[in-house]
Amino acid sequence: MTPVVGIVANPVSARDIRRVVANAANLQVTDRANILLRVLAALRACGVAEVLMMPEKGGIRGHVERGVARARAHGEDPYPAIHPVAMPVTGTVEDTHRATRAMRQAGVSAIVVLGGDGTHRAVAAQCGAVPIAGISTGTNNAFPDHREPTITGLATGLAVTGRVPPHIAFAGNKRIDVAINGETPSEIALVDVALVAERYIGARALWRTENFRELYVTFADPEVIGMSAIAGLLEPVTRGESGGLMVRLSPAGQTSPPSGPRPGGTILRAPIAPGMMAAVGVTDWRRMPAGVPFVPEVEAGTIALDGERELSFTARDRLSLTLRDDAFRTVNVSGCMRHAAENRLLTGTPVPVSADL
Amino acid sequence: MTENPFPLSKDDLLRAYRTMRTIREFEERLHVDFAKGDIPGFVHLYAGEEACATGIMMHLNDNDRIASTHRGHGHCIAKGVDVHAMMAEIYGRSTGACRGKGGSMHIADLSKGMMGANGILGAGAPLICGAALAAKVRGDRGVGITFVGDGASNQGTFLESLNLAAVWNLPVVFVVENNGYAESTAMEWAVSCDSYVDRATGFGMPGVTVDGTDFFAVHEAAGEIIRRAREGGGPALLECNMVRFYGHFEGDAQTYRAKGEVEALRASRDCLVMLGERVIEAGVIARAELQAIDGEVAALIEDAVRAAKAAPLPAAGDLLTDVYVAY
Ligand SMILES: Cc1ncc(C[n+]2csc(CCOP(=O)(O)OP(=O)(O)O)c2C)c(N)n1
Ligand SMILES: [Mg+2]
Repeated sequence: MTPVVGIVANPVSARDIRRVVANAANLQVTDRANILLRVLAALRACGVAEVLMMPEKGGIRGHVERGVARARAHGEDPYPAIHPVAMPVTGTVEDTHRATRAMRQAGVSAIVVLGGDGTHRAVAAQCGAVPIAGISTGTNNAFPDHREPTITGLATGLAVTGRVPPHIAFAGNKRIDVAINGETPSEIALVDVALVAERYIGARALWRTENFRELYVTFADPEVIGMSAIAGLLEPVTRGESGGLMVRLSPAGQTSPPSGPRPGGTILRAPIAPGMMAAVGVTDWRRMPAGVPFVPEVEAGTIALDGERELSFTARDRLSLTLRDDAFRTVNVSGCMRHAAENRLLTGTPVPVSADL
Repeated sequence: MTENPFPLSKDDLLRAYRTMRTIREFEERLHVDFAKGDIPGFVHLYAGEEACATGIMMHLNDNDRIASTHRGHGHCIAKGVDVHAMMAEIYGRSTGACRGKGGSMHIADLSKGMMGANGILGAGAPLICGAALAAKVRGDRGVGITFVGDGASNQGTFLESLNLAAVWNLPVVFVVENNGYAESTAMEWAVSCDSYVDRATGFGMPGVTVDGTDFFAVHEAAGEIIRRAREGGGPALLECNMVRFYGHFEGDAQTYRAKGEVEALRASRDCLVMLGERVIEAGVIARAELQAIDGEVAALIEDAVRAAKAAPLPAAGDLLTDVYVAY
């Protein structure tokens, strides 16, 4: 049986207030469609003949269909057949959840995701053991790698057709489970959970550092922006190692410079959004081992998952956060491409030998 | 009562609720009275969309200008136009905001910075560019807000105004009120490039999308965008996704909407209910306080209707007064 790949492309990521409070980019719908066409061409080149795609009304599908028709009119057929998942379109995150479940049930070999950290989280919540290949079309995007989508498509194609062995093709990822009042898990985060003092969801993005209180990250990367950057600039933790980091934050950052941070604390300048360097009061930090529940000190506020305020809680709610190693799988794009090169998977036969000068 | 976790004071939250409730009550009353045949002309109701006008207008003062649409009652009320004058205008009475000669789609009050509802789609955008240019020349930190529907956003006037505002770096906010329909045409049939944010980007200004039924989301995003414009940061576009509780106009049979669509929206996305529940749940405002407002607003609208019905129609001899302005 030839492998089928799922496609979840979010038409509305990267539309929030960070385009005004920071100089965040907007990736136009036509560009999202172009990215998808690049991915589809790469998948087809690896032998993937069919994809299952989430339907949406944001315009991506229309542009993709036009691209496919244009190629056919030239007598070319460089794309796999595109089958939409049969489901109603609500224009909410529920579409991503539903499409992902349907793809998993249909037995897809991998799901290519176009979106920000939030879109990837929605897929990861439902994909089970199906590996994800992430492409960044969102705002802060600590989770998906920043790379040319053609390469992500190639790596995925090589992985799902079995030309790269699974132990190289796929990698495990960490996740933080947030349990509210004993429900396990009520929510998940792929990169970070931030507890902030504001008790309303509002425009969702996080940028008022004086309200930051606690931060939990699965990996702490000094080369990304957003909440993970705060942890990353204190004590880097890689995606591959077990456990994460927990950081306690204080309002000292911007609001009350005379009083300064608490004793033993410091003020960190971190890129919390595109082009936005902010002073963040750091009280202290510690490792967050896998499997150990953490109970926050903050009594009331809002839980932000991967950079977006999602739900508010009060003193009546009991929260607990647990990091899980190996919680879901992604396509290891670097690993696949290195393997492909070392084994000359994309050359014709017979394989030419490099000239020994 | 507990500490207030919202970005607005309790007084401002009460004010927001009162404004939204006033718009809702005003529109629901018109729905009933129009069906009875009491009202001349056309009315387009803003019920369901109250959070958008209210969340935006809370950041404005009387010096700031707005240019509205054919669906303008909510904009008027949120901008502070007198409800009695509005009701009398809709009833075509000489005590109305335009002495009873304009009706629903021409209500204006320059003293409040309300430049007018407008029966011509897309006509508000060039007007607001003029007002914003005046504010910029005067240097008085005034801003201009224009509202446009998802359908009307395809008008040349609107697209030209995006260009003009960007070229002149005007303090304008273009608010796209996306309720999913232009009369009976659903948005995906009629709007190319599919995203209003993409359109803004094409003209070199930032665009932001918010859930227009969430008062706090609109209020927070609008606050940042308006402050940016006020401080000389230039124009921006704000798309509010919202829901229309009634037909396009009163009398619309709505055969193009799926069965149960409106009921589902009323049950899950009523901005007024959501605001009320959130402030009560947070312990900032008691239900009784909101109910007291509901009662006051109901009495206000009842009185506005009574006064409108009792007021005289414009005299035939006044036909040509206030119609043309001599320069
Ligand atoms: C220039 C112009 N063309 C057509 C009309 C007729 N008309 C009135 S309202 C309307 C639809 C407007 O839809 P939208 O802009 O989405 O606003 P909504 O009614 O949904 O608030 C049309 C076509 C008009 N008033 N002006
Ligand atoms: Mg509309």
